[in-house]
Amino acid sequence: MIESALDGLLLVLQWKALAFMGLGILLGFWVGLLPGLGGVTTLALMLPFIYAMKPHEALAFLLGMHSVVATTGDITSVLFGIPGESTTAAIILDGHSMAKKGEAGRALGAALSSSLLGALVGALALALAIPIVRPLVLAFGSPELFMLAIVGLAFIASLSGHGARGMVRGFIAGGLGLLLATVGQDPQAGVARFTFGTLYLWQGLDIVAVLVGLFAVPEILDLVVRGSSIAGDNTRVGKVGRGVLEGVKDTFHHFGLAIRCSLIGTFIGITPGLGGPVAQWMAYGHAVQSAKTEEERKGFGRGDVRGVIGPGAASNSKEGGSLIPTIAFGVPGSASMAVILGGFFLMGLVPGPDMLTKNLAITYSMVWTIVLANIITVAACLVFLNRLASLTNVPGELLVPVILVLIFIGAYTANNQYGDLVVMLLCGGIGWLMVVAGWPRAPFVLGLVLGKIAENYLYISVARYHASWLTRPIVVALFAIAVVVICYPIWQARRTRRARA
Amino acid sequence: MHNKASLALGVVVMLVSAWGVISAWGWPAKAALFPLVICVPLFFLAAAEVLWSLYGASAQSASDFKLSDHLPQSVALRRTAVAAGWILGFFFGILLLGFLIAVPVFVLAYLRVQGKRGWVFSAIFTAVVWAFFFGLFDLLLHLPFPAGWIPSLLGVR
Amino acid sequence: MRIRFALFTALALLALVGCNRQSQAPYFEGKTLTIVVGYKPGGGYDTVARLLSRYLPKYIPGAPTVIVQNMPGANSLIAANYVYAQAKPDGLTIGTFNRNLPIGQLLKVDGVKFDMLKFAWIGSAASETTVLAVRDDLPYKTFDDMRKAKEPIVVGATGPGANTYDFPLLLKEFLGVNLKLVSGYSSSADIMLAVERKEADARAGSYSSIAPFVERKLVHPVIRSRASEPEIANLPTDESLAPNPRAKAMMALRSAPEVVGRPYVMTPGTPDNLLNILRDAFVKSLADPDLLAEAKKSDMTLNFVSGDQALEVMKEVLNQPKDVVDEFRKYVKFGE
Repeated sequence: MIESALDGLLLVLQWKALAFMGLGILLGFWVGLLPGLGGVTTLALMLPFIYAMKPHEALAFLLGMHSVVATTGDITSVLFGIPGESTTAAIILDGHSMAKKGEAGRALGAALSSSLLGALVGALALALAIPIVRPLVLAFGSPELFMLAIVGLAFIASLSGHGARGMVRGFIAGGLGLLLATVGQDPQAGVARFTFGTLYLWQGLDIVAVLVGLFAVPEILDLVVRGSSIAGDNTRVGKVGRGVLEGVKDTFHHFGLAIRCSLIGTFIGITPGLGGPVAQWMAYGHAVQSAKTEEERKGFGRGDVRGVIGPGAASNSKEGGSLIPTIAFGVPGSASMAVILGGFFLMGLVPGPDMLTKNLAITYSMVWTIVLANIITVAACLVFLNRLASLTNVPGELLVPVILVLIFIGAYTANNQYGDLVVMLLCGGIGWLMVVAGWPRAPFVLGLVLGKIAENYLYISVARYHASWLTRPIVVALFAIAVVVICYPIWQARRTRRARA
Repeated sequence: MHNKASLALGVVVMLVSAWGVISAWGWPAKAALFPLVICVPLFFLAAAEVLWSLYGASAQSASDFKLSDHLPQSVALRRTAVAAGWILGFFFGILLLGFLIAVPVFVLAYLRVQGKRGWVFSAIFTAVVWAFFFGLFDLLLHLPFPAGWIPSLLGVR
Repeated sequence: MRIRFALFTALALLALVGCNRQSQAPYFEGKTLTIVVGYKPGGGYDTVARLLSRYLPKYIPGAPTVIVQNMPGANSLIAANYVYAQAKPDGLTIGTFNRNLPIGQLLKVDGVKFDMLKFAWIGSAASETTVLAVRDDLPYKTFDDMRKAKEPIVVGATGPGANTYDFPLLLKEFLGVNLKLVSGYSSSADIMLAVERKEADARAGSYSSIAPFVERKLVHPVIRSRASEPEIANLPTDESLAPNPRAKAMMALRSAPEVVGRPYVMTPGTPDNLLNILRDAFVKSLADPDLLAEAKKSDMTLNFVSGDQALEVMKEVLNQPKDVVDEFRKYVKFGE
């Protein structure tokens, strides 16, 4: 195994592979940064170019590009409050709040260093798990996936506000998200649900349009209201960028959290069928839970650095994880992976068990590519992160039109239809009202991304196993975790109250 | 402000969930089950929130960002309305003129009117934004940007 | 007067020259041809379109730029409506959509604003065969074994309207095989994983998507629909086993569009000369050895089905007696 790992490294370290990786990184950097450019579309556009390359070069190119997208997507999310990719929205809550406090540099430093850490941990976990990865993936059937969705939904409890009323609001937001997830043609009876007779809604709401509206629109409104730059009066010249090192230190200060969130990301990546956006939100939920007191918990969403480290760590580790179902089973873990899978076939690689035995070196070279691409990106970013951070000092009236153009295109590219813009604007309205009313938006997104998963896998579980799935050991264990996740904030609140009394 | 918004949201959610129940009623059981399971409790939770907003004390906000509150409420509201106006204006501009024309028109107008920048600066800034937009999304990525209603009426593409 | 005459002659000559030059330069020279795909990037329809877009310019006089635009939504109804009514019939827009659109039209689905018979048909780039594949470690070697099964055989599916669902549904209804359909999987790849972890025993789908897993000895196909491919020509077809004409009609109607597996059409009213240029270009592109080699690498089998053949299939689907349509509606919905 170690031998294959070394062989894999040697495959990546050939200069041509490195050069192609560099090219991929360069492309991925911009794709991630721009909200209108999806990783999937760009990957599909790049596929024709790989014909001329050798398999390991093409892989370095595609994976280099793919793994950077998530990293730089975080940058857009932090700086402007626009989700650069649908998978990087969770980092907005605290990351952008920090940027507004004039701590953009620190937030970026934390985001990038945690995502590097995430990539390393994810790759290490993968490298160690390769012998057991097949049984691991196969152990997660539909009942287990359903319970995983329930665990995810349980995080609503800790992402909600405080007290009974806060909980009620959180669960309303979560319920609303779940309800929106049911829009579109249902897979059981084929009925078009809540589509208002439009064709546009048949396929359901697009997560990108929803996220862009929900998060970016309120930020823009607020930016105009303040009439200043993003960092506003909080900036002292030169200070904004200097925090980068501080952010890096933060990551190491909360090392345990970063590791745990990386593992959450890896795990969710490995589990096919949960989808990219889920990982960050689960990690965010976990980060919020790491607050020791209720006072601390209130700081989340207002610029707690842990709210940056958690999702940051998950955003990259899940990429390594989602490689596994793709290469070991030929089942892509995400839309981007589906395109990469297409690339495998073009290169004459057949995904399957062979990739974990005979072609293990190639598999390892992919893991190495992810690691190297991240190291290179983070190193490159650190050099001009300060400059990026100082974008938060640009006057609002110059930023607003550019951001608006980007979010309109970003939403429009979801399906290339005006309906995307309408969804984005409506969700923007809802998002703004939620912020004004003090309702949490995170449960809403959790409901939206998990709703379909919960519904479909519940139906499959019941149809396939009747009631017997309820006693499967992993299901029971996950159920216990869900109970703990729900009860923890309640128990915590009670303890705080008792301590005060 | 907080309570009013919360009230509005609560009422909206009540209406949406009630409507959800009504429309799910006619579906086959398998398609209706999930929406019903969500909508019924959602309706009562929202009702509770509405009552709270009407009669209870104001609640603490959630773990989410707060809008800036250093400005007087009237000013903040007016500016929010202005910003919303720009956003909606851009949206209708896209419908009427199409992306390719609406983008430069909007950027230029925003810089001139809202940003109070000079003509030269605005023109150059707009040109850069437009060139970037056009080059990347139209020339390179071939996104299908439909012509707006006005150009199509006039028969120009 | 003379001057005017001279001017007139000059202009007329110029116009003539102009016309002449126009007719000499190929129509497509310097133009951009757009292939509108009814799905997001990454799927089968998109992959084939992107492959074709790189070879078509070689075979169209004037070598136009060919680009692919994705217009996803509503199982590609949106894209079809666009190409049918909004695009200009200038030969510069090609559409490739869901092969089940004629079913949607037959069932009078809301949102169908086109007539499949009126499109200017280029043809189809491939035929797709639906097969039912069952896991290798089960005792069912042939379809006959499956019919004798006492235990229900679990078939994973995405949802109504997809061939993963409709094909086994008709087998179950008409051929008396003990299948249990479990739907809700998010993609055909997900079903394959369910088969691998023994949650599902079998899966239906287009042969091209199942072939890699056949090579891996995970599953083997036991029954196929009408369109065929060399490797599976010996399998029984659903129609040949149909116990009565009614059952046969249902199966035939479901599988007819598969012959036109990757349909390519243009806006109604596209001039015949342009249509012929493109038909010709498709024939030649799909015979290009480089293209075929690339397709083979991705496990795609491409073969050109002519526009006239495609139209015949459309007619067959759409000219059904009302009672057949009404019965068909009970089983099959329009979907992906």
